[in-house]
Amino acid sequence: MKKNKTLICLFVAPTVLCLLLMYVYPVLRTAVMSFFQVEDLTADLGDWRFNGVDNYIKIFHNTGFITSLRNFLMIWIVGGVITLALALLMAVILTSGIRFQGFFRAAIYLPNVVSAVALATMWVQYIFNYDYGLLNQLVTILGFEKIRWLGTDAKLWAMIAAYIYGSIGYYMLIYISGIEGIPGDLYEAATIDGATKKIQFFRITLPLLRGIIKTTITFWTINAATFYLWSKLFSPVQTEGSTIVPVVYLYDTVFGGKGVVTRDAGAGAAVGVVLTLIIIAVYLVTERLLRSSDLEY
Amino acid sequence: MKRFMSVLLGLVMVLSMGGTVLADDGVEINFWSMWNEGEPQATVIAEAAEAFEQETGVHVNIEWKGRDINTLLTASLDSGDAIDIFEDDYNRIGQVYTEWTYDLTEMAEAAGYEGYACFNDQSAAWAGYLNSITEQPQVGGVFYNKAAFEEAGIEAEPATWTEFLDVCAKLKEAGIAPLAQDGAYTNFSFYYHLVRYLGEDGIAALRDNGGWADNEQAVQAAQDIIDLVNAGYLADGAPDEYPASQTKVGLGEAAMVVCANYVTAEVNAAVGEEVNWGLFNYPSVEGGAEPTAAYAGANSLAIASYSEHPQEAFDFIMYLVTGEWDQKMADTASQIPADPSNTAPASLNGTIETLKAADKPMTWCGSLNTHPAWTDMKTLFTELFEGKYEDGAAFCAAMDALY
Repeated sequence: MKKNKTLICLFVAPTVLCLLLMYVYPVLRTAVMSFFQVEDLTADLGDWRFNGVDNYIKIFHNTGFITSLRNFLMIWIVGGVITLALALLMAVILTSGIRFQGFFRAAIYLPNVVSAVALATMWVQYIFNYDYGLLNQLVTILGFEKIRWLGTDAKLWAMIAAYIYGSIGYYMLIYISGIEGIPGDLYEAATIDGATKKIQFFRITLPLLRGIIKTTITFWTINAATFYLWSKLFSPVQTEGSTIVPVVYLYDTVFGGKGVVTRDAGAGAAVGVVLTLIIIAVYLVTERLLRSSDLEY
Repeated sequence: MKRFMSVLLGLVMVLSMGGTVLADDGVEINFWSMWNEGEPQATVIAEAAEAFEQETGVHVNIEWKGRDINTLLTASLDSGDAIDIFEDDYNRIGQVYTEWTYDLTEMAEAAGYEGYACFNDQSAAWAGYLNSITEQPQVGGVFYNKAAFEEAGIEAEPATWTEFLDVCAKLKEAGIAPLAQDGAYTNFSFYYHLVRYLGEDGIAALRDNGGWADNEQAVQAAQDIIDLVNAGYLADGAPDEYPASQTKVGLGEAAMVVCANYVTAEVNAAVGEEVNWGLFNYPSVEGGAEPTAAYAGANSLAIASYSEHPQEAFDFIMYLVTGEWDQKMADTASQIPADPSNTAPASLNGTIETLKAADKPMTWCGSLNTHPAWTDMKTLFTELFEGKYEDGAAFCAAMDALY
């Protein structure tokens, strides 16, 4: 078929235009805005005043932002290691031919189907509740004193635990699809050669899942960096230090919080740029550390 | 087929033109509300709009924007969206949206509108003119369950911190936890206590310059809370996760809670019955700088500066915030009436008088909430109620460490 460049351009144009308008333009505007003093998110360019890296200095001198970064790191590292490890473990178990695997897959994935609002409410009001929550009921039965699960010391970990519960199923499905893509012949050959299940996991499954693991780490990083809803649900009245994350800090900076009327879209843009850089850095590091397998199967 | 389609499209065009003609018959105003459809406040507003249309012929288009209306308003007002009336916290209307608010002074005078002086004066002080009309006023203080006070044999409301501690002792003796405290409001409670010692100006000076540990009154304020906690006057589990602790007041397990008046409606809804509420101003402290100031806030209504129907919009606002519809709003949503000549629900007895007497409203944590370390300060305030500090000096040293 003869190529008609004009026609190709015409077909591609709407998509390119949409991409430029809805993705590239906001990203560039945000990046530029982060170097200007801007109060309103929608302020005219004429109202922007260049202030160099002051917005970055401002956010890094704000203990709220530093606390939010610390919380983000905890969610990303601790939450990530536990979630991805448990998801992988369950994926391996559920692809090993155990009985009722369909049921277990559905049961573990179920929290992903339930709304995050309902899920967080269940954890806050019925599991962590001081007076009649499930955990304190168990603690009391065991003869210990009740624990303030949502106190300043424990609230971040309580939130991470609840979030992990709601996330495992999603990553488990990704791993299952990866494991099911590995040819069964490899395992059969390994079994004939006398390899144990443990050796098969470390020598066959893990190396061949390298690309999938890289993808899940990137997904988890993006989810941790854009973590917002769970933080809001664990601090419904106003932002708290124990649950603040960068996106919540960004939101409060741009729109103000309870009793706060000051707004700073420029500083909010700087937070957005920092988060983007974190995600890019993590992607590049995982890309370097976990090169996709050059094995063909 | 083509002929059928063209007839159909023509019909649609004619009908849509007809619709426009019908709408142009009367004045239409657009109202952006901060409530969600189905909420008690929204139901009353919708009913009032219908009644207003029947009386005046002015149609009110209501858009329910919910609590995040503040994320939309600046951009929408700036781009001249079709908004005549909008609703938000009066702080934001007075300090953020002033560029797009209509001067209501003359219309208010012509209508004989009075409202609450504290809000009107503050609005004028911020914007330079009256730029909002109070719709849902709020007042802070110590809300208590009268049944609990009766059970403990308490006859008089405490006015000083010493009297307050006596009341706590009696309640504890009667087996009732004196004070409910949710973690979400520890900053509000401690700020109230600080205001009693230092006044809002004194706190602003500490905010700017630090030196908490060198300030005897700040140290004493923290020590008071530590003593309160150590005496066992907080409800079991407090500071608890909102709304667990405040609900205990409704359940009769705790007697008092420091909050704004919406706590009464929230607790009533949580326990499913009307609690017999009482309210007293936060107790004064000996030698304190500010013995009587009370927190006051409001959701208010404003008119967009570019509205083509400001008078009709103002008339609807008056229709909503005075007389019959304001009373209905107060009764339905269990809130303080915007019209001081109306009657507060039984659970909010005394709130109208408190607001009328308030000359300068205390703010929600005032200048502290714009401090770069505000998030961590809030954590420290909660830790104070968790009993993590040995004494007031240790707490104040932790505050200084944030600078």
